[in-house]
Amino acid sequence: MIFFLLLLPPLIASLLALLVRPNREFVGWVSALLSLISFGAAITIAAQTIAGDVPIWGLAINSLGLEGVLRADSLSALVLVCITGVAALTLFLSSGVGRVTHYDAKQLRRYQIFINLFIAAMLLAVSANNVGVMWIAIEATTIFSAFLIPLTLRKTSIEASWKYLLLSSVGIGLAFAGTVLAYFDFVSRSGRVENALNWTTLMATAPSLHPEVVRLAFVFLLIGFGTKAGIAPMHTWKPDAYGESPAPLGALMSSALFAVAIYAIARWKAVTDAVLGSGYSNNLLLALGMLSLIIAAFSVVRARNYKRMLAYSSVEHTGLICLGLALGPLGAFAALLHLVNHTVAKSLMFFLVGNIERAYRSPLIERVHGLLKVLPQTGGLFAVSLLALIGLPPFGLFVSEFALFRAGFALNQPVLMGITLVLMSIVFVSFIVHLNKMLYGTPTEGVIAGKADRLWNVAPLYISIGILVVLGLTLPTPLAILLKQSVEIIAK
Amino acid sequence: MNDALFSQLTTLGSSVILLYGFTLLWRKSLHAYTVAFQWQSVMLTGLFLIIGYFGHDVELYLVAGFLFILKVLILPRYLGKLEQRFPGERESRPYVNVATSLVVAGLLVLLAYAITRPLVLVSDLPTRGGLPLAVGLIFVGLFVIITRKKALTQIVGFLVMENGIALLAVLGTYGIPLIIELGVFLDVLMGFLVMQVFVYHIHDTFESIDVDQLNELRH
Repeated sequence: MIFFLLLLPPLIASLLALLVRPNREFVGWVSALLSLISFGAAITIAAQTIAGDVPIWGLAINSLGLEGVLRADSLSALVLVCITGVAALTLFLSSGVGRVTHYDAKQLRRYQIFINLFIAAMLLAVSANNVGVMWIAIEATTIFSAFLIPLTLRKTSIEASWKYLLLSSVGIGLAFAGTVLAYFDFVSRSGRVENALNWTTLMATAPSLHPEVVRLAFVFLLIGFGTKAGIAPMHTWKPDAYGESPAPLGALMSSALFAVAIYAIARWKAVTDAVLGSGYSNNLLLALGMLSLIIAAFSVVRARNYKRMLAYSSVEHTGLICLGLALGPLGAFAALLHLVNHTVAKSLMFFLVGNIERAYRSPLIERVHGLLKVLPQTGGLFAVSLLALIGLPPFGLFVSEFALFRAGFALNQPVLMGITLVLMSIVFVSFIVHLNKMLYGTPTEGVIAGKADRLWNVAPLYISIGILVVLGLTLPTPLAILLKQSVEIIAK
Repeated sequence: MNDALFSQLTTLGSSVILLYGFTLLWRKSLHAYTVAFQWQSVMLTGLFLIIGYFGHDVELYLVAGFLFILKVLILPRYLGKLEQRFPGERESRPYVNVATSLVVAGLLVLLAYAITRPLVLVSDLPTRGGLPLAVGLIFVGLFVIITRKKALTQIVGFLVMENGIALLAVLGTYGIPLIIELGVFLDVLMGFLVMQVFVYHIHDTFESIDVDQLNELRH
């Protein structure tokens, strides 16, 4: 039942937007309110998993194998809360409050239809028990988001969405080949069993699978879902797509969609580790994580466009999370906590950047001066959340990065951690430099603050800041339990 | 006897399917790509039927039906429309020339043989001989996407890669669960429809479907 409350609201919202033409304002409000139901359902699921339950739901139709098709354990619950939280924030900010007024009714209608479908697909991916269904849902996210990036048709937006669409489709295709290989191994070991692709069945049979085949399958899966997560060297779509998307979509893609892709990798890593021991997947993740950090550090230094700068920061955090996943249970804990923090901070950044871009009509750092004078609310929030994003206390990311380093030193990896620290400092310094250029100076001429900067319009974003501060000062018990349970699922 | 025949038929079928993939490398007209993809899909449907027959799996007949409708009837039709819309477009100067492409593709198939060795060893299915060819086809599709300039060629490359994955699935496991198979078909169809919309967008904004003009986004 709880899954209905989770998955139906975005579908209903999308249907409503489809039926009401031309687009009316109430559609946005209804879908914003509906998103609260999803959020409530996700919180309920989280509460159930903390209490030790695992909600499960299925259809008893013969030979379709849909028994227990939806299942949410602690790891799913954690990601579900992240997705629905960002989704609610996105829909509230894009309907009434600080809304996207520069789109016409037709574009708004398209936006409402596809953003809700996009959210529904992400929720399905995380609550699916079957790896095949998960794959289908993740592929669907690519398709729905590709409709949204070019909301206004420009050369650059078309270029970005074509690259995103092609690269993601290819990546996700490789992930499917990986899924097929894993299933192939399963079949050659235990014959054709119903529900062979369910996580529960896979994990149970994993110890008897063939190491050589699983090794191959994991490479395909890591490249595939890694493309979706934007792990280097498959990250090249990220700056383009984030730079060109409407701000609310950028917020969802950089936080929620990213969490979904990491979720898929973490799940498959657990299966792989059950077959091969953790050494193999850890080494791959360490290598790709380091590469992501290196590429991100040098790209941030050279960034001239603040939206692309955020995309490279996203690549950096991808790298950190990969490192965390590769550093045993302590590292996995840090990685998941970092995932939560990153979700809050990155979505916040994209909303603010949306305001800035609308006022200055340019995504270039060199065109933005005197941000604090022109947009006092947005500018102040932007400065604070940028400091949070680069890992200063008292914000959550400081804590999770600290936990990551502790995990690294506990595993006797001082060299690795040293290099990571150097790369993070490079990002840190260049972010401060960019921020300075934007905040101060004489305001660029012809910039209009507009309604978006009023206190009331940015008020919801103070919730995000509040969460980041809370997570920086303490680790609430429910979250701690949820994280601990999730770590038990993915790292033994 | 039956198993020997089954095994020979599937290996032969897979080889033909791979060869249709190779056609993309040396033909230049967009029409040839559509035809190659269509015939490749016909062969793939046939292979599904053969495996369904010898493997005693009725479900595969159903999947073969869907595959035929989607990849032999619907997608080539749309591809044909695209071609007619852009009659002058040819893949005349790919990033990698034809001769090199063929050599590289040959090496990719060898690579596929190398990495699928463990698969062939652990499987006791009569169809295992075709597994390296399926992975080879995935690589060839990928290679086409990377080295070709026309948006339309890239789409066909993507579809060929999808065919490779379908081939891998049917050879290795006699077909993945039906519900997943249907979901995958739906995704392929939707993905293709979005891509072809973009081909029109690219043509309208850039006045050609060369993707090497898509280079405005930097830093």
